[in-house]
Amino acid sequence: MTTAETGVRAGGGAATGAVRPGGIRVEGLRFGYPGREVLRGVDLAVAGGELVALVGLNGCGKSTLLRLCAGLLRPAAGRVLLDGAVVAGLSRRATARRIALLHQSAPAVPGMTVRQIVRQGRYAVRGPLGMLRDGEDPVCARAMADAGVAEWADRPVEALSGGERQRVRLAMALAQDTRALLLDEPTTYLDPRHQLEVMATVVRLRAERGLTVVMVLHDIGQAARFADRIVALRDGVVVADGAPEAVVTPGLLADALGVAGRVGRDPEGGWPVCYLDHPLPEGKPIEK
Amino acid sequence: MSVVVRAACAVRTRRVPVAAVLGVLGVLVVAAGLAGLVAGRALGAPEVWEVLSGGGDARARHVVLQLRLPRALVAPVAGAALGLAGTVLQSALRNPLAGPEVTGVTPGAVLGAVAATGLGLAGWEHPAAVVAAAAAGGFAGAGLLWLLAGRDQGDPARAAVYGVLASAVLSGLTAVVLLVAPGELGSVVQWLVGSTEGRVWAHWNLLWPWTLVWAVLAWLLAGPLTLLRCGQEQAAAAGLATGRARAAALVCAVALTAGAVPAVGALGFVGLLVPHLAFAVLGAELRTALPGAALLGATVVGWADAVAQWLSRALAALTATDRLVVPAGALTTGCGALLLLVVARRSGGADR
Repeated sequence: MTTAETGVRAGGGAATGAVRPGGIRVEGLRFGYPGREVLRGVDLAVAGGELVALVGLNGCGKSTLLRLCAGLLRPAAGRVLLDGAVVAGLSRRATARRIALLHQSAPAVPGMTVRQIVRQGRYAVRGPLGMLRDGEDPVCARAMADAGVAEWADRPVEALSGGERQRVRLAMALAQDTRALLLDEPTTYLDPRHQLEVMATVVRLRAERGLTVVMVLHDIGQAARFADRIVALRDGVVVADGAPEAVVTPGLLADALGVAGRVGRDPEGGWPVCYLDHPLPEGKPIEK
Repeated sequence: MSVVVRAACAVRTRRVPVAAVLGVLGVLVVAAGLAGLVAGRALGAPEVWEVLSGGGDARARHVVLQLRLPRALVAPVAGAALGLAGTVLQSALRNPLAGPEVTGVTPGAVLGAVAATGLGLAGWEHPAAVVAAAAAGGFAGAGLLWLLAGRDQGDPARAAVYGVLASAVLSGLTAVVLLVAPGELGSVVQWLVGSTEGRVWAHWNLLWPWTLVWAVLAWLLAGPLTLLRCGQEQAAAAGLATGRARAAALVCAVALTAGAVPAVGALGFVGLLVPHLAFAVLGAELRTALPGAALLGATVVGWADAVAQWLSRALAALTATDRLVVPAGALTTGCGALLLLVVARRSGGADR
């Protein structure tokens, strides 16, 4: 583990000059739809350069939290700060220059090549008139290289597989050139190989660029392996927040994911490994 | 057909420069204008050329300079406006079935124009009043769709159904106005079908500056519109204020339609299908697709006008009467229906 990573873990978001940019601070956040409260007072501090995994059951508010952080929803109470600036007070473009969000899924856009899609990520920086200018954009080239899509640059997006499209959308988010990146279930629709490819890309980008990454993951094993910190949500509140070695316990599996299970250690890497068993609370283990 | 598809792919991946495609389309537009000039009944190409080079007798000068020239100019510019309006609408609503004809905009504009004429507020001698009435009607039509569709606007198929509903209601109202005030029925019917007959300089003088202004505004929206095509969520995450961008785009689309309807009426399918051609040939990036849509719209309506005149002349020769006139709108609707079948099959396959 690098010194930067351990430093970040200890740093927890104190607002001093030494803090790395890209910090996200969530204070007393509440949000709901008529008849259903989704977030019921969430506090969270993500330091610049930290890689945080959000885990929890479907509908516990993970995606909503990401959307609020990206300024796509307005909180009912509380606030989100990006590098100390309140998101609700920033314009859409100013927010998108600070934080990028990769949605869980997106419609394919017929007629557009990979290069054209990735270029759309430059809107926040270039603005409506800047998008009219032609010419190569070095940030786009870098984003395509980082996401591993440069070789398909001139292919139409419809011709790509689901995993490839996911990487194109990651490249579009990277083209926003932000310090913070939010990923909503980036691996859900992918096969194991492509899942690990995406995770490796994210880990590498964090190491090379010092990106702050908050990602929703359903695979608690991946969260334990790749994240600096795991934040578990249940019914719109944070029920666990800490380093994987500290928080991944049978208690967390029961509390946040509603499953029984055992937790071991990877024999080589030492990270927590989960053996999930039966759903709670009916009881009986599933027999083979 | 496969040659066309391959050529379109080559353009989309930038192996053929966009400028070359736009240049070819520009030549087609000019050719349509020239064809329109010589296609009419009264004069042949030599007489037209004589007038244009400064000669000709008074009658020939009148026919060419007062009847044919404004018509040959109005048709392509109105086509460009409709093509742009459709492209802007389809992108803003993210709906390949959107077009001014099927979102209540064109029927609303026709209703506005017909009502204003029927009530005596406007007429052929006051084209500006007709444009204002058409714009009001177009906004009312779009507003009606907005009210009907409510929260369902994300679903293209449902939005299309509501669009057909809104258009039917507005067309019904137009019929009511025509029954109540049948005075200028003959000239008004041209708006319903879409016709390029009898255009005069007054139409041109109003049409081109209005279209130019809104076309430039539409092109300035190319960046936001391209993002909207990527999906509303994606666009918002990339930094676009989607609500404002959509509203601006809709105003542009209604204004472009409202300018074209008083000049050429409800030319069927131009606004709905020209965008599909433009996207197929120039790709989905609006900064190139919009100029392409303008030129394609101009080409389509320009040639529809020329062919309609040729057909009218041929019919007149066959039947030995002067009363049979083929309106350009009948041609665009006929050809458009065929093309719509192709589009429906293709987009149906792509979605699944």
